[in-house]
Order: sequence, then structure tokens, then C-alpha cells
Amino acid sequence: MMQETLPEAPGRNVPKTRTPKPKSFRKALRKDGSLYLLALPGIIVLILFAYLPMSGLILVFKNYNFNDGIFGSPWAGFSNFEFFFSSMEEAFRATRNTVMLNALYMLTGTFFSVAIAIILNELRSKWFIKITQSVMFFPYFISWIIIGAILFSLLDYDKGILNQLFLAIGIPEVEWYSSPWLFVIILVLANIWKSAGYGAIIYYAVLQGIDTSYYEAGRIDGASRWQLITRITLPMLIPSIILMTLLSIGGMLKGDLSMIMGVTFLNPLLLPTTDIIDVYVYRTAIRSGEFGFASAITLYQSVFGFILVLVANKLAGWYDKDSKLF
Amino acid sequence: MATTESKGLMIFFYCFIAVFSIICLIPFVLAVSGSLSTEARIAAEGYSFLPRGFSLETYQFLFGSKAEQIIRAYSVSLLVTALGTVSAVLVTTAYAYVVSVKGFRFKNVLAFFAYFTMLFSGGTLPWYLLSTKYYHLNNTLIGLFVPYLLNVFLMFLMTNYFRSIPHEIVESAEIDGAGHMRIFFSMMIPLGRVGLVTISLFYALQFWNDFYLPLMLVSNQELYTIQYMMYNMMANIQFLASGNAAQVSGAIIAPPLETAKMAMTCLTVLPIAILYPFLQRFFVRGIVVGSVKG
Amino acid sequence: MKKNRVWLSLFLTFAFLLSACSSGNNGSANTNAGSKEESASESAGSLAPAKLTIVLYGDETNRMKELAKTEFYDVIKQEINAEVEFQFLPWSEYAGGKTDLMLSTGEDFATYTDINYMVKSVAKGVYADLTPYLDTAPDLSANVDEASFTAFQLGGKQYAIPVGNKPNSAEFYSVLVRQDLLEEVGMTSVSSLAELEEFYDKVHAIHPELIGYASTDARRMLLYDYTDKNLYWQNEFIALDESAEDDQIISWFESEDFKKYAGLMHGWYQKGIIPKYAATNTPQLQSDWNSGKAIFWAGTAARPFEGAATISQAVPEAKLANYFLGTGRPKISRGTYSTAFFVSSAAKDPERYVMFFNLLQKNQELYDLFAYGIEGTDYTLDENGRLTKINNDALIPDWLLMNKNFIRFDNSVPEDFIAEYKAWDDGAIISKGAGFNFDNTPVKNEETKLNGVFTEYLAPIGSGFVDYDEVYPKALEKLKAAGLDKYIAEYQKQYSEWYAKHN
Repeated sequence: MMQETLPEAPGRNVPKTRTPKPKSFRKALRKDGSLYLLALPGIIVLILFAYLPMSGLILVFKNYNFNDGIFGSPWAGFSNFEFFFSSMEEAFRATRNTVMLNALYMLTGTFFSVAIAIILNELRSKWFIKITQSVMFFPYFISWIIIGAILFSLLDYDKGILNQLFLAIGIPEVEWYSSPWLFVIILVLANIWKSAGYGAIIYYAVLQGIDTSYYEAGRIDGASRWQLITRITLPMLIPSIILMTLLSIGGMLKGDLSMIMGVTFLNPLLLPTTDIIDVYVYRTAIRSGEFGFASAITLYQSVFGFILVLVANKLAGWYDKDSKLF
Repeated sequence: MATTESKGLMIFFYCFIAVFSIICLIPFVLAVSGSLSTEARIAAEGYSFLPRGFSLETYQFLFGSKAEQIIRAYSVSLLVTALGTVSAVLVTTAYAYVVSVKGFRFKNVLAFFAYFTMLFSGGTLPWYLLSTKYYHLNNTLIGLFVPYLLNVFLMFLMTNYFRSIPHEIVESAEIDGAGHMRIFFSMMIPLGRVGLVTISLFYALQFWNDFYLPLMLVSNQELYTIQYMMYNMMANIQFLASGNAAQVSGAIIAPPLETAKMAMTCLTVLPIAILYPFLQRFFVRGIVVGSVKG
Repeated sequence: MKKNRVWLSLFLTFAFLLSACSSGNNGSANTNAGSKEESASESAGSLAPAKLTIVLYGDETNRMKELAKTEFYDVIKQEINAEVEFQFLPWSEYAGGKTDLMLSTGEDFATYTDINYMVKSVAKGVYADLTPYLDTAPDLSANVDEASFTAFQLGGKQYAIPVGNKPNSAEFYSVLVRQDLLEEVGMTSVSSLAELEEFYDKVHAIHPELIGYASTDARRMLLYDYTDKNLYWQNEFIALDESAEDDQIISWFESEDFKKYAGLMHGWYQKGIIPKYAATNTPQLQSDWNSGKAIFWAGTAARPFEGAATISQAVPEAKLANYFLGTGRPKISRGTYSTAFFVSSAAKDPERYVMFFNLLQKNQELYDLFAYGIEGTDYTLDENGRLTKINNDALIPDWLLMNKNFIRFDNSVPEDFIAEYKAWDDGAIISKGAGFNFDNTPVKNEETKLNGVFTEYLAPIGSGFVDYDEVYPKALEKLKAAGLDKYIAEYQKQYSEWYAKHN
């Protein structure tokens, strides 16, 4: 697959780089030569630690055993995928849940990250910005296990704080841990809480690079604060938003097992919405010790994500050529 | 009229950030107080904002007789973070610059070459085999950061910051006859300072928090990092507290699981709480473009 | 000029990296080389020197590190002329993770395993066949049950060597109750389900904050109430009736017994004996038990004294006792307490590894050394042979070595507990499935899918969280769709073949 797609990429740009008059070929080479040199360390790292190990992908189509090694082991064809795709109902549900949750995370996460970055950019109190910005970064470092434990003390049926509150004001108690669709909301909120501060830093840094003269010009034209935000700040962030979206779309089918395990404790009653692909693989293949099965599904996730990225990248190119990923 | 509108807006902004920050802070407060509580009371009464039965026993359990080891692990972590961040930022910004150069014929190939690795990976087995048998990174200091020298996500982030630098500056430099090396080192790096600080922060955190490389590549205790030490302890505590311990070992030992988790959280967040405000000095707004040019 | 400076800085960076690299290497080499050379001269007769790597899971304590370089080193060198390096991995890597990687990439080491992991690994060809070297472990064979050895055989070959000898029959078939609570409500013992529930009601009336049963699986302890068979589980799906002398396996989830059991559990769940949160937060159950917030738990031979130490941190007056809820059915043993050492197939000298395992259980003296350290420095013994630890650092984990012939108890364990513990296996029978290991290759897909159905549908029924009649039809349909019939048939086939050969 790699070989097929690689050659096509350079073709697109060849005409553009052929400058009308190659003044001095040697000079051009010297100029570009330093570019190769700058990229070289990165290329070496990628080859050593990503591309060479990728030979392991053939293991997905093999029955690995130690004596025959990676290349000598007998071929297994697609049999490592069978357990997943032979029960279409489960496979479909897992894929749907993964895409659904990831799409929700992406939309809400981006919205809140951008909103926070923009607001921070508007605030004037230095100490307030400093403190809140650090604090909003904290959740990123708190493991899902801890978040799960804290949520549990909020949501437990008998002793949970929320239900006790409901009881006190006369609202019927809620069985949070047996309401799969209610839990989607909880997962989305938890994700915003954990990642919004982190994401905001990225956008905030972009805003710090904006030339202040834009705002001065806007203010002279009599634009209100809100107008400055929507007409200057937000458009400035669009390329970054597109970039971040493109980067995360590739992982559309990859889920966070530790999150679901930490927050739902793999409660069977919640599986109708929380059984994402990684969870399904965990409670089937990993539980049975069939790691070949698990890596087969990882490949499925990658290929699917790859297709999505190719499409999204094309769409981004229509909007603005510069915002394409590659 | 415009001022009342923006005044209302500002009040809303301050409130929104304040409320969200408090929500972010609560679990951390719970964690600090939990780590200073006794395991028995946490298990019996749950979390609280003030320590239940104030005690340092969790930290003693975690670090008890290991002071010497901890100091060594902290220095290894510091060294790895420093070396890793400096070299990774160099490798990454250089690559990102190449990808961001307008009109460079292979920039898309390189971008794709990097992005592809974000999606596809060959799994741990071949990676481990190559790293130990061919690159001989096991039990070496460089093994603790070299595999992570190029984080593709951060590379693209950096590309994005480079792209936001007005193109005219680069062009005028090119007209002056500057080569890419010079443009990169003497213009792009200073101009992309905010981006540079951002990815340095993320890299520093990545290296500081990593326990995977030591887990895979290190068996010599001299090279344990602090995160790996903590990972090790947590894995063992969790195992002992789970039913599996009884199955494999027939042993029932009660480690301070809950409070240890809390202590771990505190110890992980701590470097951030120290490092971040320091880094914020570099997040100064409004870099005046003209001043760097000269 | 500027370009030169750039190159210089790049060069310096890399030079620095390289020097850092080599110093890392030296550091690791030096630590091993330092120790005693003189002891090698008096080493065991004709054996050539060998280097062994033993992987252990858990934290390496300071004392362990020290002893590995001194007393352990000397003794091992002297006895089998080998140098052993103890390498510690986190528990998360047990039976998987890095252990798998080390096996798959051909590293030379030995560590412990359970039967499940052994079966998987032997299929991949990463365990060495140790059958030829069994003769070199005569002391081990004398001190460890024969049945333990058979448990770690596959196709007549010995792939792992059991270390330790612990009473293990009727694991989880008894109820472990808080004897102090039992006495508080005026009862002396528990011998039936009715009495157990009465006990719960009485305690619940006084201490409503306590939960009843601190687990979600009671199929063994409740056996006496829902079936006449003497069931013994091979895995989640398959049970054997030990009171019948035939080769029939029982498809547990399709049996009437499962229905009755699920009914009992649902009753417990509704009554609150199993708390509502158990459906979500299972780990909380154990932590409740450990902190003295539960009334009873599933019992094993060792739990009354092992568990007491834990609970007494929270409830100093806590006492524990084992009771069976019925009588007349023999205790069943799977023949082993699951830990055994294997040697990687890439090992250069498997025989020497086996000789090392032998040392671990050779005699009281060596057992004391490896498990407890040096008398006077690490522990003291009183006139009754009771152990007092001076130093709490774990060495080679004592539960790993635990052998009822050698074990030393501390002062807190009453004499009658010890007697009961040592006699626990008397009259027990070895399961008729002991030594049979299922080869799942023909039904890998089915087994994997069945695990998915189990975790989503059958586990909640079995734990009583949902009503059997409501959910079972759907669950059964899912089981069938996942290939339960094929799985059961394959299991039956292999088991019958094995059974015919061994009876």
C-alpha cells in the first residue's frame, strides 16, 4: 500500500517547483541540498523506529511461532480478522460506537479548546491568565483510573453525591451506570474536561504569534470586541483547526481503552454505547491471549483511518491549498 | 453601547474561565488530600477536600527505604528530559521547516512520509527486536530518548507555526542570498519562538512522563527514570490489590492502593506546576516582526 | 562562518549523545563484574561455569539487591557453579508484555508461569522442554507433589518445573467469614446457606454500613445448594462433575444448575448481600473486604491467616474462619498452586536452570536463605521455630517458594490454624481433569468470540445483576451464534481422547 501511494505525491508538485529559469543548477542544488540535510535526522529516526519495524505488519497475516521467525512462520491469510468480522453485529456496533464517540470528542473538544484560547487571548489580567492556564492543564495528567474513581463517587446509585442531591431536592434518583446513552454525555464531558486545557495551549500559542497591528487597524475602524474575535481572531485559527482535525481524523477508529476502562469499569450494562473497537478486542482477543487477532484489528483501524484522511485531506485542499496535510 | 456590550462579554469570559479552572482544580485537590490521608480512612469514607487522618505513610510506602535510588532516578529523568528535549526540538523543527518551505518539491512527500507513521505501526515485537538486537539501545542512556526524537504530531504543529510567519520575510532574506540553513537557524527559530516553546513544553512532558522506553529497554537499575520507578510501583500495587495476586501467588498483601494512586497523580502533576509558569514568560504576545529582521 | 558554527553545534550534540551512550554501557557492565572471584575456586566439581538470568516480578528491595551480590551469589556459585542475575519486571509484564517480547526475541532467561500462559507459549515454541533434565532436581521432586509436575506437562513433556507446595484443594469452595462478627451476633458457626443468610441479616441489622459478600462469584461455595454434583470448573464455560466417573464435560451456561445458581445470586443482589455498585466497580469489593467493610468472602486454605493481617490494619479485633456450606463431597484439587518456573527455548544451558530451581527447594537451610535471608540479620527464630522478621524487605518472594514442609509462621498465627492448614489437603482428591490441557487452535475464533459474549451477557447473569429469565434467551442465542456448540464438541473430543489414555 505504501509503495502505491508514495510515487503519486511528488508528481503533483513537480511543475510548481520547476522555476521558470533555473538560473544556476548548481546553486539550486546547493540551496535544496541544505533542506535534505535538515530533514535527514528526522528521516533517519522515522526509518529506524517506524518504517523498519513496520515489517512486523506481515505478522498480521501469519501464524507466528518463534522457531520459524517473523518471515518463516506459516501464512494465515485473513484468518486473524475472522473473529471480528464473522460476527457482523458486534463488529458494526463496535465500529459505530468508536466513530460516534470520536466524532463527538472532536467536535466538542475543538470547540472548547478554541473557545478557551480565544477567551484567554482577550483577558487582560496577567496573573489570572497564568494561574488559570496552568490549572486547566492539570487534568491532562490525571489518569483515567483516578477520574473514574472520582466520577464513581459522584454517580454511584446509593452513595453518589449527585443522587443524594437529587433525593434532597425531590428529583428521582438516576441509575447512571445502567444508562448507556446517558453515559455518552458523561464520556464527552469527561473528555472535554481532560483535554480542553491541553488543546487550548496549542491555539493560544498561535494567537500569540498574531501581529497586533491587525487589531489596531480593526479598532480604528470601530469594530467591537466581539467583531474583532469573529473577524480577526477566529479566521487566524482556521488553518490550525483544520490541521488538528486532519491529524485526529486518522485516529477516527482508534479508541482509548484506558478511558473506557477507567470511567465505566467495563460495566456490561453500558456496553451498548461504550463497546468501542479497542474494548471489544480487549474483552475478546486480549482476554484469550490471541495477540495476533488484536494486531489484525489494529491494522483495520489504521487502514480505515487512512482512507478517511485521504478524503479529508482532499476536502481541505479544496478549501485552501495550504491547509492540506500532504 | 459598544463598551457595555464588551463589558458584559468580559465578565462572562472571566467567569467562564474561572469556573472551568475550578472544575479542573477539584480532582487535583482531592488527589493531594487523598495522598496525605490514611488508606483505611479513604477506603472507609471516600475522598475529601481535607486529608482524612493526616499521614505521610503513602509517600513512605512508595519511597521508604529508597532515597538513594530516587535521587538517581530523578537525575536520570532530568538528564533524559534535557537531552531529549533539546535534540528532539532540533530534529523536529528542522524537519518541520523543510515541510513548510513553499515550493520545495519533496515537501509533500516528507509530510506524507511522517504522517504515515502516525497511522501504521508494526507493533512492539519488531520494534523491540530491532532496538535491542540491532541498534543495541538496551541499557543505554540514549535508548531512553532517541526513539522519540520525532513526534509527528508536534512536527505538524511546528509546521503550522512556521507557516504563520509572514512569507515576505523569508522571501526578502532569500533575495539577500541567504541559504536555507541560515534562514532556518537565524530567522525561523527566533520568529517561531512561541511555537518552539510550545513544542519544547510538550516534548519535555513527553520525556519526563515516559515510562515505556525504560520498561522496554532498561533492566539496569542505574538507568531507571522516576516515572518508570513509579510505574513499576503502581503496577505492583495494582497487581497485589487485584484478585489476580491471590490466583498467581496465593498472597494477600494490602498495599495503600487508593492513596498511592493519589500520590502518583501529585508527583506527575508537580513538574508541570513548576515548569509551566516558568515557560509562560515566553508566551509574550505581539512579536513585532520588524525587530527580528535586522 | 555561520554555517560552520551550525555544523560545530550539531557535531557537538552528537558527540555528547554518543559519549552518554557509551557511559551508559559501561555502567551496566561494571555492576556485574565486581563480585567475588575467590569463591569460584571451591565451586562444585565438574560443572563448567554458567550464567543464568532469573526474571522475577515486583519491586527489587535493597536487601535483595545486596544478597544477590553476596550470600546468594556465593551459595549458588558453590552449589552449581553458576552466576545468577536477578532481573525484576513490573507485575504488568507477567505472562505477556515484556516477558512475551523477551521470549519471542530469543533471550536467555527463566521465570515463572501459570498453566494458561504455558499452553500458549508452548504452541509458539518459546519454552524449552525440560524433561531430560528432571534427574538433576532430585530434592525438588521429593519436596513437591507429583501432581504438580503433571500439571505442567504437555504431550508428556515437562515444560515448567513447579516450585512450592501449598495446600490448594477446595479453593473458594468455603466461605471465609468474619468470626468476630459471627460471635458478636451470638452465632458460633455457619454450615448452610440458610445460616449464612441469617448471619447476614443479623449483622446487617446492627451494622447497616457493612456489605455482605465481597465478590461477584459464589458458584463454588453455593454448590451444595443448587446441585448434587461435585462441580469443578475447567474455565468459564466448562465444568466437570467429579462425583461421576466418566469423561462427560458439562456446558455450564446451558445447564439447569447454572439457572438455579443465577437465581440464588439474583436473590442476593436484590437483597443487598451483593451491593449494587458491584455491577460497576468490582475492584471496590476487594478493597471493602480489605478494609473490614464486608461480612464474608470466598475462602482458601491460607486466607484465614493471610487475610487477617490485612484486615486487622483497619479492624484490629477481626478474626477469620473458613466454613463449608454443606458436607459429604470430597475436596477437589487441581494438583497444583499454579506457579512453576519455565526456561526460554533460547537458553544455552537449560539443565543449569533446573539445577537452580532445585536449590530453591533443596532443604530447610536453603529455603530459609532464599525466602527469609540470614538468621540474626534478617530474621530470628524463637524456640518454637516461629519467625520474627527484623527486616521487611522481600527477597525471592516467599509465597513463590512457599512449601508446607519448610514454611515458617510468625507469632500471630494460632497453633490450630497451622495444624488445619497443614492438614487441609487430607482426604482431597485430584480432579479428573488435572493434567489435561486444552489445545484451542481449532476453535480459536469461537473461543475469542465466546469471551465477548461472556463478559457482556453471562457474567452479569451469573453475578445476579440481571434476571435470568429476562436476559438468558438473548444470551443463549449469542452463545450459539459465537459457536458454543462447536467449542463444546471440540473440548469434549480432546478431553475424551485424553481421558481414555489416562484411565
